[in-house]
Amino acid sequence: MTAGRVLDTGLQLLDRQLVDRSGRLCGKVDDLELTEPDEHGNLYVSGILCGPGALLLRTGHTRLGSWVRRMLPVAFDNPGAVIVIPLQRVSDIGSHVTLSLDSEQVPTFAAERWVREHIVSHIPGSGVDAPR
Amino acid sequence: MKKVVQITLGVLTAIGGFVDMGDLVANAETGARFRMNLAWVVLVGVVGIVVYAEMAGRVAAVSQRPVFELVRERLGPGPGLVNLCASFFINFLTLTAELAGVAIALSLVASVHYALLLPIAAFLVWLVIWRMPFERMERLFGLGGLALLVFAVTVWKLGPDWGQLFDAAASPHIPRDETPFTYSYYAIALFGAAMTPYEVFFFSSGAVEERWTERDLALNRANVLVGFPLGGLLSLALMASTHLVLAPRNISVDDLSQVALPAAFVVGKLGLAAALIGIFAATFGAALETALSAGYTVSQYLGWQWGKYVKPREASRFHLVVLLAIAGALLFALSGVDPIKVTEYSIVLSAAALPLTYLPILVIANDRDYMGDKVNGRLLNAVGTVYLIILVIVSVAAVPLIIITKGGA
Repeated sequence: MTAGRVLDTGLQLLDRQLVDRSGRLCGKVDDLELTEPDEHGNLYVSGILCGPGALLLRTGHTRLGSWVRRMLPVAFDNPGAVIVIPLQRVSDIGSHVTLSLDSEQVPTFAAERWVREHIVSHIPGSGVDAPR
Repeated sequence: MKKVVQITLGVLTAIGGFVDMGDLVANAETGARFRMNLAWVVLVGVVGIVVYAEMAGRVAAVSQRPVFELVRERLGPGPGLVNLCASFFINFLTLTAELAGVAIALSLVASVHYALLLPIAAFLVWLVIWRMPFERMERLFGLGGLALLVFAVTVWKLGPDWGQLFDAAASPHIPRDETPFTYSYYAIALFGAAMTPYEVFFFSSGAVEERWTERDLALNRANVLVGFPLGGLLSLALMASTHLVLAPRNISVDDLSQVALPAAFVVGKLGLAAALIGIFAATFGAALETALSAGYTVSQYLGWQWGKYVKPREASRFHLVVLLAIAGALLFALSGVDPIKVTEYSIVLSAAALPLTYLPILVIANDRDYMGDKVNGRLLNAVGTVYLIILVIVSVAAVPLIIITKGGA
């Protein structure tokens, strides 16, 4: 990967909406993974962290954040989930961040899947396309 | 005809915002108590919401990003969360009042106590959100709310001295038996009702639901320029009709059935029927608007899939939040809380959170990253900035005024 693009991460990357390759909404840029500094002391963004655990850690709630990050995968039967989306999976950065993944492949989808399987799909009409 | 129908998003948003349960009572009450001395506030509010809803709709059309995504993105997670909690709380109180309003409107026809109809009202609201396509919902309740135009007919039929009515509105003063505090309290209630944040949450999310693009910017403008002034007109008509009919008879408005009185007095049975249909559609529309906004704000803050444009199972968490909000509001309404007091507080409290919603809209509407060359012009920025200052003043004054006036008593 080239060092190509320079962004103000605070203004142009953090807290933006993640969109999968078919246009589904699939999370937020809750935090960023950075590389070790190179010989000039420059840091590079290597991945996007998403999920409430990452958000809590970023905003300084370290204890609660790491607890949430440990517990969520257990609660939603998704052990070992890695919440880093490598930058290679990012296809575009604009007013939202487009991924070259399906939303099902994003680790935080586990909670959506859990609610779908345990609650929403039991209500009649949940799979009906809204006619336009 | 197609063009007329396309502005129903603005019409429903405005009716839900301007003439929902709280405003029906607040406008009627201010008309009876303050006569036309607070009419100017409605005008100030209309201009404010037109300016900001246009920006929010334009951002949504150009970038597909609705308002609460902008809030999280520009304020950051901390202040964004404060806004989320405040907005959710206000939404919840308003939804409670709207459910009560729907039930009361039904009970005026069915002659059973409204509490018995509350579960039916809540179920109907949920069912419409679960099954009815967004556009059909918007047309049904937006156009149904237009039955409230009967209040404009009422004022017309009374044939008031228009010059005198206009003069009364143009030279406002504080009535003798009111204090500056109660006057300001009701001014903030009216202003807060006009600029209530769920209007921009709903309007911008609706623009995304309807897949607006840069080509629909004229449609966006038409929606705000027709919808919100119409909402303002309806609330002024309501105020004038109670001012003309109820104030001279010393009738004060404390429940929803009295709101319909002027129409019944002046236009007769047909007027009463139109008023009841209008009140039903407006409160039902506002219930849809606030219940959906509960889902929109939470989902957009956390990045979940939301919206009625996908199958319900594909936006599971969004639909779960909406369902829980409706169920919670139903329980709260059933607990016997006074729905009118609930809305009054919620409107004034919402005024306290207004800048947190409108500042990010103003900032993003100037961001070329989002907007390309569709950023605000200078005039719009000047007006937007003036309104932001007003919003900050209003937000600081809101809570002390609740305490000083003991809720407008």
